Amino acid sequence: MRDFDYIAPKTVEETIKVLSEYKDDAKIIAGGQSLLNILKQDLMAPEILVDIKNLSELDYITYDDKDGMKIGATTTHHAVETSPLVLEHYPILAEMEHTLAFPQTRNWGTIGGNLCIQDPTGDVAPILIALKATVKIVGPNGERTLPMEDFSVDYYETVLEEDEILAEIQIPAVAPKTGIAYSKFRIVEGDAPIVGAAVAFTLNEDGTCADARIATNGTAPIPLRIPDAEAVFKGKKITDALIEEAVEIAGEAMECIPDIVASDEYKKRVAKVYVKRMAKKALSQIQ
Amino acid sequence: MSEFSVIGKPIRRIDGVEKVTGAAQYTTDIKLPGMLVGKMLRSPHPHAKILNIDTHAAEKLPGVKAVITGPRDTLGVKYSNWRRYPHLMDETALAMDRVRYIGEPVAAVAAIDNDVAEEALSLIEVEYEILPAVFDPLEAMKDGAPKIHEGPTVRNNVSEARHFEFGNVDEAFKTCDYVREDTFYLHSVVHAFIEPYNSVARYEGDGHLTLWTTTQTPYYIQTLLAMALGLKEGNIRIIKPHVGGGFGGKMELFSDQVVASILSMKTGKPVKVELTREECFEGGRRRHPMYYTLKTGYMKDGRIIAKEAKLYTDGGAYNAMGPTSLYLSGFFQMFPYNIPNYRYDGFHVYTNKIPATAMRGFGGPQAEFTCDSQIDMIAEHLGMDPAEIRLKNRMEPGHVIPGLAKVESCGIKECIERAMESTGWKEKKGKLPKGRGIGMGCYGFMSGGVFNWINSPYAYSGAMVRVNVDGTVNVYIGSAEIGQGSDTVAAQIVAEKLGVPMSDINVIRGDTHTCPPDLGAWGSRQTLMVGNALIMACDQVLEKLYKTAAALMGPNVVYDYAAKDGRIFIKERPERGLDFVEVVKAAIRADEGNQIIGRGYYTPHDKGMVSPAYSFGAQVAEVEVDEETGKVTLLQVTTAHDCGQVINELGVEGQLEGAFVMGQGYTLSENLVTDQGKILNPSFVDYKLMRAPDVPENFTSLMVETYEPEGPFGAKEAGEGLTNPNAGCIANAIYDAIGVRITDMPITPEKILKALDEKKKKRQKDKRNE
Amino acid sequence: MKKILNFTLNGDPYEVAVKPKTTLIELIRDEIGLTGPKVGCNAGACGACTVLVDGKAVDSCSVLALQVEGHHVETVEGLADGEKLHPLQEAFLDDGGYQCGFCTPGMLMAAKSLLNENPDPSIHEIRHGLSGNLCRCTGYVRIIDSIHDAAQRMKKEGGES
Repeated sequence: MRDFDYIAPKTVEETIKVLSEYKDDAKIIAGGQSLLNILKQDLMAPEILVDIKNLSELDYITYDDKDGMKIGATTTHHAVETSPLVLEHYPILAEMEHTLAFPQTRNWGTIGGNLCIQDPTGDVAPILIALKATVKIVGPNGERTLPMEDFSVDYYETVLEEDEILAEIQIPAVAPKTGIAYSKFRIVEGDAPIVGAAVAFTLNEDGTCADARIATNGTAPIPLRIPDAEAVFKGKKITDALIEEAVEIAGEAMECIPDIVASDEYKKRVAKVYVKRMAKKALSQIQ
Repeated sequence: MSEFSVIGKPIRRIDGVEKVTGAAQYTTDIKLPGMLVGKMLRSPHPHAKILNIDTHAAEKLPGVKAVITGPRDTLGVKYSNWRRYPHLMDETALAMDRVRYIGEPVAAVAAIDNDVAEEALSLIEVEYEILPAVFDPLEAMKDGAPKIHEGPTVRNNVSEARHFEFGNVDEAFKTCDYVREDTFYLHSVVHAFIEPYNSVARYEGDGHLTLWTTTQTPYYIQTLLAMALGLKEGNIRIIKPHVGGGFGGKMELFSDQVVASILSMKTGKPVKVELTREECFEGGRRRHPMYYTLKTGYMKDGRIIAKEAKLYTDGGAYNAMGPTSLYLSGFFQMFPYNIPNYRYDGFHVYTNKIPATAMRGFGGPQAEFTCDSQIDMIAEHLGMDPAEIRLKNRMEPGHVIPGLAKVESCGIKECIERAMESTGWKEKKGKLPKGRGIGMGCYGFMSGGVFNWINSPYAYSGAMVRVNVDGTVNVYIGSAEIGQGSDTVAAQIVAEKLGVPMSDINVIRGDTHTCPPDLGAWGSRQTLMVGNALIMACDQVLEKLYKTAAALMGPNVVYDYAAKDGRIFIKERPERGLDFVEVVKAAIRADEGNQIIGRGYYTPHDKGMVSPAYSFGAQVAEVEVDEETGKVTLLQVTTAHDCGQVINELGVEGQLEGAFVMGQGYTLSENLVTDQGKILNPSFVDYKLMRAPDVPENFTSLMVETYEPEGPFGAKEAGEGLTNPNAGCIANAIYDAIGVRITDMPITPEKILKALDEKKKKRQKDKRNE
Repeated sequence: MKKILNFTLNGDPYEVAVKPKTTLIELIRDEIGLTGPKVGCNAGACGACTVLVDGKAVDSCSVLALQVEGHHVETVEGLADGEKLHPLQEAFLDDGGYQCGFCTPGMLMAAKSLLNENPDPSIHEIRHGLSGNLCRCTGYVRIIDSIHDAAQRMKKEGGES
C-alpha cells in the first residue's frame, strides 16, 4: 500500500470542504471493507484519505409513518441488521443485512460505503430499489436526491462527483398489501453472491397488481432494475404464467459477465430462477 | 480397553492453553533485534530465458542491505527431497538462467522494512527472452512441445513414469463377463494452510546458521539447506515453532528458507521472509490435476477380476513430491479392495505451472474419486447395491499385494457395515425423494511411508526419553506437530508406558539441535513411527527402573514388573510395589548419578514397499440437489474409520471432520484456475474454501477399533485417509439424487445443470426414436 | 507523516504515533507487539486477525489503525482473566476446538462477539456467526460445538462474560 495523508473531518460540512479542496486527490473511506483491499493492491493511490467512518452526524436510523425510514450513510450493516425499526418496518432489509458478507464486515462496514463501492454483485442495492429507496447526496452546492436505481453508473462507479458524498438513504413507508423478497445464489455460504434477485409486489384491494418492482445483482455492471418485467404484472392478477413471462423478459435485460466461477449463461439462468422464486415468495407474503 | 490410564481417554492437548490464549508462537510471530525484511522478485512469465538481471538501482536505494540473484549469489545447487534419486532433483532457490512458471523466484532483497523491500524489487530489471510454454500434460507430451527441462531422463516432458503389475491382467480381462472403461479428470486445489510460508534466518557466523520456519519436516530442511548453502548439516539449526497447518504443502525446502539464509549470511543480520497469501498461491504448491483412465473387468456376481489404471498428471514446472503422488495414486487405486490382476501406468509430466506436490491423501483423493465412481457404475450395471459390491470385493486382514504391501489389520468390513447401519443405508439407497440421494465411498491409507527419498542414514523416527530425579519426564522427538496433535499423542504414549501423569511430561520438539532426526509429518506416519520409537525408549528406561526396583524390593524369585499410576510394582502382585519417584532416585544414585535416558528408533521391517500398516474406512453422505440451480447441499455425513487402537478420540474425530470438509471443498467449490499459467484466483476472496455454514450439520464419526500389531498400542493412521473417499462419495450421492454422474472435477452447480440438460435431451431423443 | 492515535487495548490506554496507512493488525502485531491475532490473508477473508472493537468482531487487517481513535480494542490476549481462562477458552480445550491454532485467536474473538450479542445461540446461529473465519484443520465441527458448550457454561456461571 502506498503512503497517503489522512484526515477525519468532524462534520459533513467539513468533509465537503476537504473534498472540494483536494478533488480527485482525495478518496473517502468509511468502513473501508472493500476500499482497503483496493488500496493494498495499489489499484488506487489517493493522496489523502478522508475518513468518515466516525462521522456520527451520518450514523442514524429514523422512521416515521409519513416519510418512512432515513438511514445515515455511515450506519453500519450491523446496526441496520439489528435495528428494531428496520425489523419492524422493513424486515427484508434486516434479513438481507444478516447474510451480507461476514459478521466482521457487517460490524465495521457501512451501508453507504457499500453502495459507493458499487460492486455489481452487492446485496444492498436491489433491496433498496425494490423498496423504492432514494439516496441523498450532499455537495458544495447543497443536496440532491436520486432514486436508488440511478445512483450506479458502471463497475465501481457511481454518480458522485469528487466533492460529493452519499449522506442518506431514504425508504418510503411500505404500502399495505405489499410483499418483498430477496435472496442470492452462492456456492459457498457466507461468500459474496454470484447473482441475486429482489422482487416486491403491491396488490390492489381486488388482488390485482398495483405495483411491481424487480431488481437483480450480479447480472449487469450495475444493480439492474427491470421495468419491462415489472410491467407484465401491472393491473393483472399475478399468476405463475405471468411470473414465467416476467422472468423471460428479465432474462433479456441481463448482461451477465462470465468469470472463473460461472459462465454468463449459467448466471443468467440462475438469476432467472431467483427472480421466479422471489416473485412467488413476495406474493405469498401478501395476506 | 479399560486397562489403559491415558491411551484412548479424553485428554486435553498439551499445546492447548498457549493456543487459546494467543501465547503460542509461530514463525510469523518472531521478531529479532535488527531483523531485516526479505522479499522475492517473481517471474511474470510462464517460460523464459533470463538474459540479464540488473540490480544496481535496487542496491542503491537507501535502506536496502542486500540484493541477491541465482547465478551471482547462490551455489545453484539443484535440490529437492529426491537426494536418493538425483535425476529427479530439479529445483533451485532462485532461477539460474530460466524461469518455468509464473511466480518462480528470480531475485531477492533484504531491506529495513517492507516498503523499502517492495520498492527495491520494483527497481530490479530482468531481461527475459520469452519461450513457448505448455500448460496441459497431454499437450506437453506431444512431439515438438516446448521442452521444460533438459536432461537425459526427461522424455517428452515426462520426468517419471511408474509401472506396476501383478497377476495376468490381459488374460483376466478375457475371462470377465464385462469390461468397462471410464475416463475422469481431476482438477487442481491448494493446501490453503492459514499460516503463510515464512522463515527467519540468523547467521551465527563461522558456518553456523539458525532458521526458524513453518515446516512439516525440520530434518529435511536441515539437510537440504546444508546442500543449498554449502554448510555442514550439523551446524544448521532448524527450529520449528508452532506451525499453522501444512497438509503436505510444507514438507520441502522452499525458496523463502534458502533466501532468508543467504540474505542473513550476506548482511550479518537476522532476516525474515514472509510470503503474502497471493505469493502462497503463485509461488507455492498444489494438488496434482490428473487425467485418469480405468478399465475394469468384472463378473455377473459383482466380483472385480482385473483392473488397469492409467494416468497422466500435470506436475507443474518441477517434480516436488509428484513422483510419489503418482506412485501412491496407482497404489491407492486398489484400496480397500482385493484386485487379483492389476496393472498401473502413471506419467508425471512437466508443465509451465506451479509445481504440484503432496497434499493430504497423497494421490489418494484422485484415485478414490475414480475408483468409487466406477464401482458405483458397475453396481448400477449389475443392479447391485453399491455397498454390497464393496463388501464383496473388500480386502481381508492379512491381505498381500504382490511385491507392494502386506496388510495386517483391516476393519473395512466392519466399517462398511457400521456406516450402513448408522445411516439406514438399506432404507435410503435409491429410495429417497427426488433431489435427495445417498452415496458411499471407501478407502484405505498408509500409516507412514517406507520411503527414504531423502537418503537419510538415520532411522525413520527417533526418540529420547529422560526421567528427571523428581519423576518428571523429558521427551525429545524430532517429529513435527503441525496441528494434528502428534505431540500430545507422544506424551500420552510415554505417560502410559511409564505410568506417570500427563502433567509430568515435557515434550521437547521442533529443534534439530536438541531433538533426534525424524522424517517429519507426511504420509500419516508420526503416531506409528514416533510412537514405536518412544516405546523402545521407554522400555530402556523401564529396564533400568525395574532392575532398581528388584534390587530395592528383593523378591525371592525373578518377577516381571510393571509401571502404572506413579508406581512400579510386581506384575503378578500389584500390591507389592514402590513409588515411581523413589525408584528413579535410587536408580540414579545406583548409577553414579548418570541420567536415566532411553533412546529409541523405528525402522520398518518386512512391510513391503509402501507402509508398515493401513487404516481403512467407509463414508456415507446424504445430499440434496437443487435441480434448478445445480447446487449441492450436504445433509448428513457418516464416517466409520478403522485406525486401530484410538489413542486420542477427540484428535481422531477432529482429523476425520477436518479431512472431510477439505474433501468437500475439493469436490464442490475449490479450484485453482489458471490461464496461460497465470493463477486467476490467488486469494481467499476468489479461491473458495468451505466456511462454517457449509459443513454438514450432522457429522457422525464411528470408531472401528482393530489391533494393528505393528502400531504402538495397536494404533495406526487417522489424519489423512479420510480425504480420499469424499469426492467419490459425494458424486455417488448426487447420482442417487438426480441421476447424473459428473466425472470431471470439481462438481460445480453449472456442470450439474449441464448434465441434467443432456439427460433430458437424451430422454426426449430416446422417446422420439421409440 | 505519522499521526497520534489514542485508544484502549485490552483495557489499557495507548497513545501511539502511526502512519495513516498502518492497519490495525500491523499496529497490534508489529508496533505494540501482541502476536495473538494472526495474518492469514490480509484481505478480510480469513478472519485470523479478528479482534473486537467496542465488543464487536472486526477484521483488524481491514481497519486502519487511525480509525479506532477513541475506541476499545480487545484481542485474544485480553480474553482470560489473569490465570482464569474464559469459558470459551475452556470449551475449546475440552471439546477440541482447535488444531494448528493459527485461526484460533480470531475464532475465539468472533465467538466472543457472537456471545456478547446472543448469549444463547443455536447451532445454526453459531455456524452463521463464524462465516468470516476460515479454519483449514478442524472442518469447523468441533469449533461450533465448543462455542455451544461455552454458552452453556456461561449460562451456568450466571451470564458472566
